[in-house]
Amino acid sequence: MIEVKDLRVCYGAVQALRDVSFRAETGLITAVLGSNGAGKTTLLRTISGLKAPVSGAITFDDHQLVGEKPENIARLGVGHVPEGRGVISEFTVEENLRLGALVAKVDLAAGLAEQYARFPVLGERRKQHAAKLSGGERQMLAMARALIAKPSLLLLDEPSLGLAPLVTAELMHTIRDLCAAKTLTVILVEQNASSALRIADNAVILHLGRVMADDAAATIVADENLHQYYLGMAE
Amino acid sequence: MDAFLTSRIVSDILEGLTNGVIYGLIALSLVLIWRSAGILNFAQGAMPMFATYLGVIVFAGDFGYWPLVAISVAAGFVLGGTTERVLVRHLYGKPEINPIVVMVGFLIVLEAVAAAIWSTTPRGIPSPFSPIDWHLGGQPVALSPFSVYEIVTALVVMSLVAALFRFTKLGLQLRASALAPEVSRLLGVRVNRMLTLGWVLSTGVGTICTVLVASNFFTGLTPQVMDGIFAFGFIAAAVGGLDSPVGAVVSGVTIGIILQFVGDYVNSNAIILTALIILIVSLMLRPNGIFTKSAARRV
Amino acid sequence: MSRLVFPRRQFLPAGLLVAGLVVAFVVTPRLRDGVAIAVAVVIAAASVAVLVMPNVRQAHPVIARALLTLVALDATLLLTFFLSATTDFNLAVGAAMSIVLLGLSFLTGASGQISLGNSAFMGVGALVVAMWADHHATTPIVVTILIAVACGAAVGLLLGLPATRLRGPYLAGMTLAFVVAFPALDNLFSSWTGGDAGLELPTPVTSPHWLAGYFSANTSSFTLGTIWMTDMTVIITAVAFFLMANLFASRAGRAMRLIRDNDVAAELVGVSLPRARVLAFIVSAAYAALGGALWTLINNSVSPPTYTLALSITILSLMVIGGIGTIPGAIFGGVIYAYSTNVITWFTSHVGIGSQSNLASQMPGIVFGALLILTMLFAPRGLTGALHRLREWRRDR
Repeated sequence: MIEVKDLRVCYGAVQALRDVSFRAETGLITAVLGSNGAGKTTLLRTISGLKAPVSGAITFDDHQLVGEKPENIARLGVGHVPEGRGVISEFTVEENLRLGALVAKVDLAAGLAEQYARFPVLGERRKQHAAKLSGGERQMLAMARALIAKPSLLLLDEPSLGLAPLVTAELMHTIRDLCAAKTLTVILVEQNASSALRIADNAVILHLGRVMADDAAATIVADENLHQYYLGMAE
Repeated sequence: MDAFLTSRIVSDILEGLTNGVIYGLIALSLVLIWRSAGILNFAQGAMPMFATYLGVIVFAGDFGYWPLVAISVAAGFVLGGTTERVLVRHLYGKPEINPIVVMVGFLIVLEAVAAAIWSTTPRGIPSPFSPIDWHLGGQPVALSPFSVYEIVTALVVMSLVAALFRFTKLGLQLRASALAPEVSRLLGVRVNRMLTLGWVLSTGVGTICTVLVASNFFTGLTPQVMDGIFAFGFIAAAVGGLDSPVGAVVSGVTIGIILQFVGDYVNSNAIILTALIILIVSLMLRPNGIFTKSAARRV
Repeated sequence: MSRLVFPRRQFLPAGLLVAGLVVAFVVTPRLRDGVAIAVAVVIAAASVAVLVMPNVRQAHPVIARALLTLVALDATLLLTFFLSATTDFNLAVGAAMSIVLLGLSFLTGASGQISLGNSAFMGVGALVVAMWADHHATTPIVVTILIAVACGAAVGLLLGLPATRLRGPYLAGMTLAFVVAFPALDNLFSSWTGGDAGLELPTPVTSPHWLAGYFSANTSSFTLGTIWMTDMTVIITAVAFFLMANLFASRAGRAMRLIRDNDVAAELVGVSLPRARVLAFIVSAAYAALGGALWTLINNSVSPPTYTLALSITILSLMVIGGIGTIPGAIFGGVIYAYSTNVITWFTSHVGIGSQSNLASQMPGIVFGALLILTMLFAPRGLTGALHRLREWRRDR
């Protein structure tokens, strides 16, 4: 379970997040939605420690995350797949995965086997340089790399960006399946609200750094005001 | 066979090889720093020189050659790590010329302080390997126990570094920290420590190289001993590609051999000129180095 | 000051001119060199008068710069008449160095590149002057200097061409290789260059006859020669600074600053990256050669071992301490260089370090190296930057 309380984040004079508070329950998928500039990426970066907030608290399983270095937060079991995926192009697929498994003290062979089973394409290309992968394959690699460390909290920043609708649908299914065992908490940031809401349990809507709505996904889907103003979804 | 091995050409090749592995080692240490910190360390010859002085004069006394080497290398590790923490930390993210200028200043300070404390008179470091060339059928072969020691040591160090980077977890983290520091942090890599480690390793490699040079009977240890070697090492690294360890070693050895021929058949003063020409021509043809794998800068 | 600006601006020029004429009138009969001084003062006053007229600096920047140069030149020339021969000598050495610093400052400040080869370019200029004078004694000095500068520029072109596509570290390393190679190059052609021993000028530079008329009869020809050489150096320095100031402000200068800050944007705007970079390098090489040529004339000889890596790094330090990319910075650096030996010697003797000890002989290296590091870390804009900040601080109070 992760709880964010009264988070305030600034970039110089610009307030990116204002008094943001919400909870993401264990084992559930919480979507964070909103238009460009709403602060979604900033929220994830603050949780994983890349950005220090001006004020506020983030509690994850009894740990206080604010003020911790990103590498320490990662070692607590937080996996962040950043915007742009962060796949290291100069490494091979397997080296990227080895890097992911490095600090998590998991059995490498077993971990690799599990990820190759889940993403067969990666297994086929395991010795290739990541630069040669397509967009969808990179997304899978980034996710596999985060998953191989067996995180308890997974932060996904716009995983569907640049992907074809079919690939996006598959991706969302995979994320849904990951949470089937209820041991993994997922915070899913998406601009593509409809695909996210299809698999999310709860949703938080951000607008210009503030929380506009925080409710069960079904409720939000049904609320037509929200569609129009914040999600840009077709009627 | 004997005549062949003692011939002028083979002699030049062997001598060039001996010099070349030295250039290759320094080039390798430059590549290590470049890959881990994105900085071209102009003090890459001066820092190991200082560490060698520390080892020889301050700590070693009468302990014998191998403890002396070990202490110098240890001093090199410490100096490298300390320099990173104290000096270089402030320079990440600043304009590109800042670290260059600061390391150039550091170079001068180290040489001046070393000369002030220990004077510029060359000091000999007696090694257990004889510098006298072997003889085959009455003619000298351009190899002596000492030169074999140099070549073997250099090759061993290069292999160890290569193995470290390719096969170990530490090497993976070092490479990742250099290529993608933010992503590495997200994966739990202690990036700052890796940066320091990069400096520690590269200064260590440089110190081994300096010890080899300084224990050469015909050279000795002076504050300026690494100046010329740094220049040749830089040329080798630049020609091979600042981000390619293999390139550094291969160019170092090749350049060493070419220069030996130039010195023998033309004029010893033409050596550095040739090296300069090699550098200029190579950079005009392949600005990023011959063995480099770096992608073109994306707009 | 703020309330009175408008009326004061109108009367200032006239007031200055009148003041200048009064001084000239009073001074003329009383000093030995009265006429010369009077003329100098009038020129200075007139120039300053024109400069403070409203809008002159914006409407006619080139003329304004020329007048400013004239005033500075005026004052300095006047000064040389009164200073001792030793001080004049130091002034000349420092002025020549400031030319070198200006060239390097342009390269680094305007286009963000570092060159460690400037002492070797100085050496080129210095050697060419001596070699040419050895074989063609009748060429006027100015022509010899121009030849030396042209040679420096040519070598700069040779080295600068590969620099077109290089990033910072590669250029710095390449120029390092050049400066390390310089002694060997010198020895390679030692039949022309005199190897390590160098060359002497066949006829030392002497002052023209008319100059002696301004001084008392027992002034030695050595002193006269020094004063003449110093004046020549100062005039050449002023011209060099004038040209550079115009270059800084011109389209080419702006293009180079754009490259320094964002080369991708520069390319998109149509600036030719390679050409601009080579040009900057050639300019800095030419200026360095000019400085070296002047050194040879000042010393009446050239000594190649002077032009070492240590000198290059000293040049770098002076430029950084003075302020990268600024004209005042080059002047500061020149002044510091002229007096650094004296100051450092004074310092070592006062701190109790034996003058023959190793520490004393290494002091310049330690001082300049340490200053370079500290300045780059804590005050990267050097003395000029510090002055700017001081002015801003006072303005904001």
